[in-house]
Amino acid sequence: MSAQHGTDPAGAGQHRVVLTGLGVVSSIGLGAEEFLQGLREGRSGARPISVFETEGYAHANGCEVVGFDPNDWISRLDAQQLGRATQFSVAAARMALKDAGLDVGELRDQRGLISIGTTDGESYDLDHLVQAELETGPEKLDPVATRRVPAGRLSAAIAQELGLENVEAVTVPTACGAGNYAIGTGFDAVRSGEAEFAFCGGADAMCRKTFTGFYRLGTIAPDRCQPFDIDRKGILTGEGAGVLVLERLESALARGARIYAEVLGYGLNCDAYHPVAPNQASLARCMELALENAGVSRDQVDLISAHGTGTKANDSTEVAAIREVFGEPPRTVSMKSMLGHSMGAASALAAIGCALAIANRFIPPTINHVTTDPECDVDCVPNDAVEADLRIVQNNGLAFGGNNAVVLLGKYDGQEETA
Amino acid sequence: MTARAERIETIKEIVCDILEIEEDEVTETSLFKEDHGADSLRAIEILAALEKEFGVVINQTELPRMVNLEGVYAVVAEPAGW
Repeated sequence: MSAQHGTDPAGAGQHRVVLTGLGVVSSIGLGAEEFLQGLREGRSGARPISVFETEGYAHANGCEVVGFDPNDWISRLDAQQLGRATQFSVAAARMALKDAGLDVGELRDQRGLISIGTTDGESYDLDHLVQAELETGPEKLDPVATRRVPAGRLSAAIAQELGLENVEAVTVPTACGAGNYAIGTGFDAVRSGEAEFAFCGGADAMCRKTFTGFYRLGTIAPDRCQPFDIDRKGILTGEGAGVLVLERLESALARGARIYAEVLGYGLNCDAYHPVAPNQASLARCMELALENAGVSRDQVDLISAHGTGTKANDSTEVAAIREVFGEPPRTVSMKSMLGHSMGAASALAAIGCALAIANRFIPPTINHVTTDPECDVDCVPNDAVEADLRIVQNNGLAFGGNNAVVLLGKYDGQEETA
Repeated sequence: MTARAERIETIKEIVCDILEIEEDEVTETSLFKEDHGADSLRAIEILAALEKEFGVVINQTELPRMVNLEGVYAVVAEPAGW
């Protein structure tokens, strides 16, 4: 991670990497177009949880994906053989492929990488399997559901669905920052020339286990998610998938592809400081690593898409780290105000939001915002999207255990330069 | 043994199990965090175990009072009606 972006792309055998396809399964819309509309409108995905029994909890709102029929997207595989999170990841990959305008037959002749991040894998199935085991014993476990569980399915099933035989397919288990890790993995592979394309992102399905864990920690908001607000009460759990197609700039230009944004670089670190508490110093260091990797100076960043979960601890620690690095920070928004916390999908969906913001010249709002907490003193673009010409956007992802991942995206304006 | 002493014994067992310490290390007033290395996650574990043992619901806003056995007893005593 020492190379500088754009220093000597040809001579060093390095490629510029661009985003040309976006696939979205989210609580505010399916597909990049609906997602874009949702972000522009400041749509909320919050609703009462229906995917598991919520009796006994004092409150149980979440950001579920509704109106999703896997058979609308998945054609080669039998959707019933896939867990809910894998259905999301495969559907999002199908959408991204179509959005990129790529010919899957041509992709099959190329080397590729598939990297999908997750927090829970198929814990939704595990919830049911555990319940069945307790009620009826292990001999009654559903063999189909049992086969769906391994988290490796999240990425391998994409290769199977698309018939890609010359790919490395990895599932990245770095929890709530995993989407950014997956994008970083794809970026390295395409930039180095190791792969010609990458399908990267994250996926998770809501499950009772994770909801209950956050609930017990006292971090589930009663009704809505209010990042940076003085009265913020925590997260809402969410679900979905975001998959991004990464390819070399030259291949995108050669086929006349639409370029949403360029991937400039990323940074990762792990401080192993605490099971759940974020660490300001290491998060600040991670942002510096990303800026360094991208060859970008802090004053060039026009927007930060924060991890912004809406918990007391995350938002104040994250803003303090941002201030440590940036001094007076650029506008800093949290898409989790709309999407809830979709766990492994979160930073992938936010990266897609960043790419759409760059391409469509706007900033998605932080909704449900009433009064900014003095400890989170940023312009969070409260409640309404604003128009903005964004050159460079930073996407933060943090995870339990002290895993941090930060991705930098930039506007690709090569066409303007040559015009 | 009085009812109170019995309950304190039960609470002590729970706390020692979660904090992985010996029961003779704990007094009614020794502090979980300062004297026995507890942190916020352990505190929540203790709260959850107490809810289960005594069949009560304890609001997490009570955590700041639950710093030692005496404090825990006072907090649990309210919903339990001791």
